[in-house]
Amino acid sequence: MPKNGVIMAGFWAAALALWAGQVWAQTPAAPACAAPVAPSGEYAPWTNPVAIKAGGDPAAAPLLPLGTAARVTLIATPKVKYEVRPEKPGGTVSYGGILILDITKNSSYRIALSSAAWLDVIGKDGALRSTAHGHGPDCTGIRKVVEFPLQPGRYTVQIAANGADEITVMALPSP
Amino acid sequence: MKPIFAFLALMALTIPPQVLAQNRHDARVALGRRLFYDADLSRDGSMSCATCHEQRHGFSDGNLVHPGVTDEPGRRNVPGLANVGRFSPLTWADPRQTTLEKQAAVPVFGTHPVEMGMAGMQEQIPKRLGRDPCYRQMFAAAFPGHDQKLDFAKISRALADFERSLISRDAPFDRHRLSPEATVGWAAFRRSCASCHKGPDFTDMAFHRLSPPDPAAPDQGLYEVTGRQADRGRIRTPSLRNVAVTGPYWHDGSAPTLDDAIGRHGLNLAPDKTRAIKVFLNALTDDKFLNNQAFSLPQTACGVKL
Repeated sequence: MPKNGVIMAGFWAAALALWAGQVWAQTPAAPACAAPVAPSGEYAPWTNPVAIKAGGDPAAAPLLPLGTAARVTLIATPKVKYEVRPEKPGGTVSYGGILILDITKNSSYRIALSSAAWLDVIGKDGALRSTAHGHGPDCTGIRKVVEFPLQPGRYTVQIAANGADEITVMALPSP
Repeated sequence: MKPIFAFLALMALTIPPQVLAQNRHDARVALGRRLFYDADLSRDGSMSCATCHEQRHGFSDGNLVHPGVTDEPGRRNVPGLANVGRFSPLTWADPRQTTLEKQAAVPVFGTHPVEMGMAGMQEQIPKRLGRDPCYRQMFAAAFPGHDQKLDFAKISRALADFERSLISRDAPFDRHRLSPEATVGWAAFRRSCASCHKGPDFTDMAFHRLSPPDPAAPDQGLYEVTGRQADRGRIRTPSLRNVAVTGPYWHDGSAPTLDDAIGRHGLNLAPDKTRAIKVFLNALTDDKFLNNQAFSLPQTACGVKL
């Protein structure tokens, strides 16, 4: 890993560690930004997302590829059939949806969102507790980053209580 | 049959037994609880009262401040709600907020800062809720009578009744189960802290300033409402119920830990006394309150799974 990568990895570890233990809470507001900033490094794909449509139930949910940003079209909340009722379900005028995450390597993973939407990761034993949460690099539009320790297997990613019908999502291994 | 009896008979036939069985107060608490967790009270359906007031944090949250639906940063730390029905005035520095019914409008319609963002959209709330037959039944049970209009006055009354049910009186302190160190801490607390943090909820409900006024500070506290120079920086004493789980502390969340918060009072306490006070403060955590299912996200309404 290049030196900058080490520094950035340390920064993100510290940034997320600040919020470790405050699991499930919302993230702080993004700072005021004069202009958007394109993220670099592992978040570089954020600015070039693929378009996918979220599922209204787990059976219809598309795969969220690791390391690839996705611009996800969501569904009106009353039409979404979640596997586990989200702790913050969102109102009838909000949007949500379901994605699938396939994990092949035991590691910690981050899921980045462009909004403060509610996020659940459901494994075979139910909803997982996140281990840290924070935000992405300032002014990049990465509004919320939640970290989960994941073992190989298939996971359901539930997005709930989003105010708009689209959201950018990216899942990637933690440094 | 007279129209009123016909109406009541029709209500009895259409309202589920779970709703009918409640008395008016219980019906209002049930309605208020559902509303407390309903994000349709916010502009885009993304925030409910419970978005910021999380039960496991004593109905505060784990953030310095909480941004609203427009992502405008919050100005003040989310206060806990344990025993809030006993409090007046409410919030950190606004003596106008004398009742829970009045205060409910602040997060929903307020613009300084925008929280739930419904300013100018008040008519949307009854439209959204009225689409749900169960909500109509719950309002009818909570507010029986001719006036079946669904409006924010009723919503705020129901929210207030639910909030008044948030009673925390089962901490180790309440059960007289203090450890020896907590007992030392309680004695130190009484000597050093209880002139302001007094009474069963550890607040005198008065506005105080713990450092010299700073006219350049972004938050001028009570002065912002009264305009009196003497009120610059004055903040209402917060309750300490469940304080161990309501951090970060201070009106702006700028004290990350209890150590920081205690230290800012300028009491020059010996380290062992500070530690003992912290142990005592931990004895104000009411686990039953934090886990009481009657206060949590409702899973059913009108007998149907939500």
